[in-house]
Amino acid sequence: MEEGLVAKWLKHEGDTVSEGEALCEVETEKTTDEIQAPASGTLLKIVHEAGKAVPVNAVIAVIGSPGEDISYIAELSAAPSPAVALPTERPEVTRVPAAEAEPLAERVRISPSARRLARERGIDISRIKGTGPGGRIVAEDILKAAEIPKAVPSAEGYKSTSLAGHRKVIADRLSLSARTAVHVPITMEVDMTSAAKLKADREMAGAEISYNDLIIKVVAKALEEFPRVNTMLLGDELRTMDEVNVGLAVGLEDDLLVPVVKNANRLSLAEISKTANTLIEKARSHALTTKEMSGGTFTISNLGMYEVDLFAPVINPPETAILGVGRIVQKPVVVEGSVAIKPVTTLTLVFDHRVVDGVLAAKFLQRVKQLLESAQKLAA
Amino acid sequence: MRRRKMSETRELDFAEAIREAIRQEMLRDKTVFVMGEDVGKFGGIFGCTKGLQEEFGEQRVRDTPISETAIVGAAVGAAVTGMHPIAELEFMDFIGCCMDQVFNQMAKIRYMFGGSMKVPVVLRTPCGSRYPVACGAAHHSQSLEAWFMHVPGLKVATPSTPYDAKGLLISAIRGEDPTLFVEHKLLYYAKRMPRLREPYPTLIGKVPEEPYVIPFGKADIKRPGEDITLVATMMMIHKALRVAEDLSKKGISVEVVDPRTLVPLDKQTIISSVKKTGKVIVASEDARTGGVAAEIATVIMEEAFDYLDAPVRRVSALDVPIPYAPVLESTVVPQERHITEAVLELVEPK
Amino acid sequence: MLRIRRFEEKLAEESAQGNIPGLLHLYVGEEAVAVGACSALRKEDYITSTHRGHGHCIAKGGDLRKMMAELFAKETGYCKGRGGSMHIAAPEIGIVGCSAIAGAGIPIAAGVGLSIQMRKTDQVCLSFFGDGASNTGAFHEGMNMAALWQLPVIYVLENNRYAISVPAARSTKLANIADRATAYGMASTVIDGMDVLSVYDAVSKAVERARRGEGPTLVECKTYRFRGHHEGDPKRGETYRSREEIEEWEKRDAIVRLGDRLIKEKKATQTELDAISQETLREIDDAVAFAKQSPAPKPEDATSNLFVS
Repeated sequence: MEEGLVAKWLKHEGDTVSEGEALCEVETEKTTDEIQAPASGTLLKIVHEAGKAVPVNAVIAVIGSPGEDISYIAELSAAPSPAVALPTERPEVTRVPAAEAEPLAERVRISPSARRLARERGIDISRIKGTGPGGRIVAEDILKAAEIPKAVPSAEGYKSTSLAGHRKVIADRLSLSARTAVHVPITMEVDMTSAAKLKADREMAGAEISYNDLIIKVVAKALEEFPRVNTMLLGDELRTMDEVNVGLAVGLEDDLLVPVVKNANRLSLAEISKTANTLIEKARSHALTTKEMSGGTFTISNLGMYEVDLFAPVINPPETAILGVGRIVQKPVVVEGSVAIKPVTTLTLVFDHRVVDGVLAAKFLQRVKQLLESAQKLAA
Repeated sequence: MRRRKMSETRELDFAEAIREAIRQEMLRDKTVFVMGEDVGKFGGIFGCTKGLQEEFGEQRVRDTPISETAIVGAAVGAAVTGMHPIAELEFMDFIGCCMDQVFNQMAKIRYMFGGSMKVPVVLRTPCGSRYPVACGAAHHSQSLEAWFMHVPGLKVATPSTPYDAKGLLISAIRGEDPTLFVEHKLLYYAKRMPRLREPYPTLIGKVPEEPYVIPFGKADIKRPGEDITLVATMMMIHKALRVAEDLSKKGISVEVVDPRTLVPLDKQTIISSVKKTGKVIVASEDARTGGVAAEIATVIMEEAFDYLDAPVRRVSALDVPIPYAPVLESTVVPQERHITEAVLELVEPK
Repeated sequence: MLRIRRFEEKLAEESAQGNIPGLLHLYVGEEAVAVGACSALRKEDYITSTHRGHGHCIAKGGDLRKMMAELFAKETGYCKGRGGSMHIAAPEIGIVGCSAIAGAGIPIAAGVGLSIQMRKTDQVCLSFFGDGASNTGAFHEGMNMAALWQLPVIYVLENNRYAISVPAARSTKLANIADRATAYGMASTVIDGMDVLSVYDAVSKAVERARRGEGPTLVECKTYRFRGHHEGDPKRGETYRSREEIEEWEKRDAIVRLGDRLIKEKKATQTELDAISQETLREIDDAVAFAKQSPAPKPEDATSNLFVS
């Protein structure tokens, strides 16, 4: 109860009252009650008239001796003590994670999971057609759209087609990557003598491997040792991934697919070869599943078979780096003061400078080079 | 799912597992005793306390008059003065008769007295529809555990298998907290009813001979899967497992999660599963509105929102009293076909 | 009895000043029942109590400071401020608990009796409840069970003639509610609840019976509360009771009666009685000071002590 209403005065100013006598009636939220005189004397002053709401603990009347000075008492109609501020924190309230603001989300029907995947992969959902109930965009739709764009060669002649559908998606993703990541390329030449020997030995043993298989294995090992390069940047969150999943760009006629070799760091060279072959085969026959194209933490792109010496590919967001592999070419190199002819390839690591600095990127690439140059020491 | 080493390969049904738990605890601790209607001489109408009165005597395995308020009230009084009663309410449908003692006394004494006392009462009660074995109708078929999830201060266990039942019951008895131990009555019968055993082989299972505890708040993945999560309780687990088996032949991999206890609820296991699959159905036999599935679905929505690829679906009973006619009962009470339908709405066969 | 009277009066005062957060149901007038009954008990015996339980708890040996602190909603109270006036418990002195639900204590007391019987001690449990509670299902079930199993319980029915505003006369046909005991095969007696020695006498006999294993007794005490049902009950309950009736019963004030008798039988002098009165006032003031100085419970502890594990 915080206040009451003085309903009726039973005595008047100037009346004599005795202790226990009823002075007035007060209405509260629930009842009407009598207030009794706490002492005998003269009712000198009625402070609050009938019909007035009075806060609890306020002075409503004064009893004393006739002629007594009570002028100081008007100040005593004190306000009730301030309520104790209750803390708003309640223990154990489930904190609901705040959904991030979507820039172009208006009325797009999309599942929360698809929304999150789109955010992580930098896909503009307004461009996606949903295949879920009621045209809802579902996770599968995003994963299908999340593929690596590579440097697009300029179109020849003039034939007008609109940049739409899948191509548009690639274009958007490329732009996003270029806009947001700080691409820095570093380049190293690698002596592939040991690698060539290993390949030859395996061929002789009937267990063929490709240079790509070897590079995947070596890169996976290096990623294990440099977890910072195996990291995703999502908004302001850096996620160092537990798994090392290496994507291999597979170029088709007018499409680019990136199947992923999962847990590449735990596979033997033979296993990697088998897996990669299967994936490439499936890519070529358009039989890759969404699962096989998702979960990548690093990407390798090899244009060596097209006589490209060196190139700086675009990072596949939200990954941190991508490795561009050029062709292997017999080159003169200086070995202990004299010139020798060696098979050499040029590796270009393009890394995101927001996540990784030059020194770390260089050390990572150094390690890759080191592992390739001692390829024969790799365990089966 | 970690299991103790089986010291024997005998298989028990639910009633046998419960009886064994009670018996072993009564041997271990003289303050553990049983009271309820028909528990003594008759051995419980579902056989859960068979033979116990002969072994432990009338003092410790007590038949009571039809006095639910006194059964639970006396259990509370005994519990706060050093005993460990296992009180039985013959059917969960009767819990209305003693609600005050359950939710105002048993549940609140510890907290409102500032933690100075504990109330180690285990209140066992059978719930659920007996279709297709018998027709219990409106007053013998209800599942009311949702009411008690809602009462702070009560723990609620809902085991689905004999292995879980024994471990959870021993846990409840030793746990010293007031616990509602809900037993789906169809689970009791399996050994005695071939027409239950055959479609639901999971109603019978291996149970270690020695006493063991299963902690409250630890769910169990009864069947791992990749495509969709199916959270289910009690008898719905067995229906879910059948559905999962059938759907696996269509290339749909269903992960069946059994919370085992509703309070405390193992949110982590459920959420991890949902994060993996992105799709979830919650199947519970109680009526849909305000039911167990409603609470679990909300938890999933709150804590795994960004991983949901589809709305959370519930499979529950229709919002009517359980009808008598079998054709109506099997429409009202969720069956395998209702679960299958729900799964196929969310996942396409491959 | 004086202690209870002064405690309750102090509470009325403190409540009027807004220092007590909840509802208060004061025991003023009924002191003889609590004191007479609890005096027949040992420390290790149990009691269950009601929403009007301060008297029972003080008579059973409750610490005034801890009780006052509980009413002031402080961390130092018997229930750490979680229970309040209607939910005081103190297991160390056998106070199993006060419940606000009329009748709930009756089957619980039977359960305590069951526990005593199974543990084979010679403790007893005393259950206080009112005329209102005697019409609940819990009364019927609890009494029946206690009688059936011959449990060591003493059921003390404080018939103060009213359940809030409804007179007992309009709630049951029986003039003596204790007649119901026969229906359960239970012993019973009806006594003057305004005379502390009569109460002591009757309850002692019931306690002895219970200790000997002869089962429960229903002891109906005719008594009266001088104040309203709760503090704030308009005109101390005059909306449903006549002032004449209240004044009639006030003339039979148990404290005054005992005082007069002690002086008449030369067992105490007025000076001695005054000294006791002063001492009581001092104790109460001390309890209030303790309560006022005690800290309030911390909000971050709001969910602690729900479960043991």
